Amino acid sequence: MTKHEFEVAMTCEGCSGAVTRILNKLGDVKFEIDLPKKLVWIESDKDVDVLMTALQKSGKEVKYNGTK
Amino acid sequence: HSLCSVSLGVEGMTCGSCVQSIEQRIGSLHGVIHIKVSLEQKNATVIFDSSHQSPESLSEAIEDMGFESSLPACST
Repeated sequence: MTKHEFEVAMTCEGCSGAVTRILNKLGDVKFEIDLPKKLVWIESDKDVDVLMTALQKSGKEVKYNGTK
Repeated sequence: HSLCSVSLGVEGMTCGSCVQSIEQRIGSLHGVIHIKVSLEQKNATVIFDSSHQSPESLSEAIEDMGFESSLPACST
């Protein structure tokens, strides 16, 4: 599985909680969130576009930093 | 057009930034006229055009964003 790094404009636990719930709903992904660094690492076989679209549903700014 | 006002329960917001992203995203949905989100009361009051949105669709949109949303009755 590929590990992708995304930068998501999260500012509080509510934000990271929202991202957590979105990713849980997406299913088939393993992820880690670093709130202070505003980073989300996702391990998944899904397309980057799919992950990107899901993260953008949170209404926050999302940037793809590439694979890690 | 028939306007409808609904107050949806929203769980999981902890700061002003959560409030803002909900207001922006839901506020830009087709048929949504006005939205006011309250962090203290954990709810979102939405005025919408019932031919484009329903309390269910709004609640779904909020849940899509990763918040828990509860559905009340719609009052006109």
